[in-house]
Amino acid sequence: MRRFLVSRLVHSLPAAWAILSVIFLLSRALASNPLGFEGSRGGNLSARTATPEQTQTAERLLHQRLGLDLPLFYLTPAAAPKSPSRSPTLRWRWQWNGLHNQYHIWLRDLLHGNLGYSFRDNQPVTALLLRALGSTLPLTIAAFLVTIAAAHVLTLLLARYRGIRYAVLGGLHMLHALPLFVVALLLLLLLANPDMLALFPAYGMGRADSTASWNSQLLGFLHHITLPLLSLVLVSLPALVVQLDNSLQQELKTDYVVTARAKGLANRLVVRRHALRNALLPAIIYIADLLPALVAGAVVVEWIFAVPGMGRLLAEAAAAHDFPVLLGGVLLIALTRLLAQILADWLSYQADPRTRLEA
Amino acid sequence: MGRDSLAGLVFGARTVSLISVPAALIATLLGTLLGCLAGYWGNNRLRLPATIVLISAGTGLFWASFTGTAWWLGWATGLVVLGLWLGARRLGLQARPSSWPVPFDRLVLLLVAFLSSVPRLVLVLALAALQPPSAPMLLLVLALTFWPATAQLVRADMQHISQLPYIEAARALGLSDWRIITRHALPVIWKTVRATLPLSVATLLGLETTLSFLGVGLPPETASWGRMLATARLEPTAWWLIAVPATAILFTTLALRQLILIGRLEAAN
Repeated sequence: MRRFLVSRLVHSLPAAWAILSVIFLLSRALASNPLGFEGSRGGNLSARTATPEQTQTAERLLHQRLGLDLPLFYLTPAAAPKSPSRSPTLRWRWQWNGLHNQYHIWLRDLLHGNLGYSFRDNQPVTALLLRALGSTLPLTIAAFLVTIAAAHVLTLLLARYRGIRYAVLGGLHMLHALPLFVVALLLLLLLANPDMLALFPAYGMGRADSTASWNSQLLGFLHHITLPLLSLVLVSLPALVVQLDNSLQQELKTDYVVTARAKGLANRLVVRRHALRNALLPAIIYIADLLPALVAGAVVVEWIFAVPGMGRLLAEAAAAHDFPVLLGGVLLIALTRLLAQILADWLSYQADPRTRLEA
Repeated sequence: MGRDSLAGLVFGARTVSLISVPAALIATLLGTLLGCLAGYWGNNRLRLPATIVLISAGTGLFWASFTGTAWWLGWATGLVVLGLWLGARRLGLQARPSSWPVPFDRLVLLLVAFLSSVPRLVLVLALAALQPPSAPMLLLVLALTFWPATAQLVRADMQHISQLPYIEAARALGLSDWRIITRHALPVIWKTVRATLPLSVATLLGLETTLSFLGVGLPPETASWGRMLATARLEPTAWWLIAVPATAILFTTLALRQLILIGRLEAAN
């Protein structure tokens, strides 16, 4: 087990490191021209009264404060100093910048657990992410558990009552064809609309009212979380149910099920004790993808229902070119995915010890 | 807002056919190419002659050590390589293999792992935020992040096919790799590719509308079903703003799925 874990980490961590590095280098290479994040500074008011020199100085000071004036990487191409006078074509030379460059500093801070500071309001990214996780984690984990439980129950129902198969599977296919945000909007339209049914609040996470009792706080939280949760579950459910149902139907055709029926077991027991265990194996691999998919789905859902969570943070950072926050979020999500894969491998090993543990 | 829904719908359909379909085509082409080559060449079938490798490495080192300020880096690498070579000779190893294998399969798998280490929506969100929103940029980002799905399927197919006797026979006849891949392997793989294409268009349609809904992918003046739905959020009583584009998305996706079913039926016959 430990050897497997090590080899999994050896294979996956470099991939995560590489993609983060690429996003970092791309973002810095583009952000080093002021157009990249000027829009997010809200500096238009001062720009109207300041002279161009003042604006330039302010910009340079800002660059210095954010560390953007340093060279980007260990080796950077730089125009050769004497070439412009002699030939019109620029000659590029590789320049060695030493360890004092943006990439090195970023990586060193990352290894020390410092994710940098937001471009927008200069808050530490770690604090922003932790605060956002506080509202995202309950939502995602609840959606994960509810999806698995609902898929389990629905598959058993489908195996038991054959009459509802076509209707339910057809409905699931329809649902699967819709993107997440459409489902969320439809739920919003149907269940949180003063014109239709105003069962649930349209947005927010509920007030943190310290005077209210513990019970009513929990109830308020549940009241607010229902619609985001429901839309996440409704979107991730179809693929899982179709997968589980397919493999269950395959298993029900095998010989050992016929044997189990022949010795007089009840249908319920045949399905639960014998077939479902084997049918779970392919579904476990799907569950590995479910957790990162839920995190990504949270981007959309939190945007729609105005939940102050990870996804909303990411989407806002992407829209406002706030790269430290964006990178921190991507890092966290990459780690989640790694964790989910390891968990799924371990689960499938537990479900069937014959599976080879391979990275 | 005062914009016409029908016009928005029609021009949104134009966006779909100008973004999702080309992106799916490019991603499928790229995925088929890389998957084919990875499956066919594997880790050791593509071999480069040692002379070419040595000469190009030498030229690169020479160029690096004389054109930049980092001249000592080139010299250090050269010294290390020389030391390794001498050490290998000392130990009596085969110091000069006639050709070196290129681990193409491993490279492609690395690239796939690299792209799939982050969920696709988040990756596209991060990449699309780098540049001011524009349609060609979105097209490029979508195509470059979407090819692994096709590549993995094609690679698995190709690995299976390249073991079959008829490919072995073609190889024994001395046909070139390119001819074997295009004339003998691709017609078989084409079935897989054709089946995945509508599915990728459907997935990319979902991705593109989601991005437009979040206000990241396309410039605000481009009409898109996603943006239409985003305006509906500001006006909760206008149910038609949600219902009409949602129906359009639903039926487009269902129609694309139906194409796959028809393809499967044809294959079964």
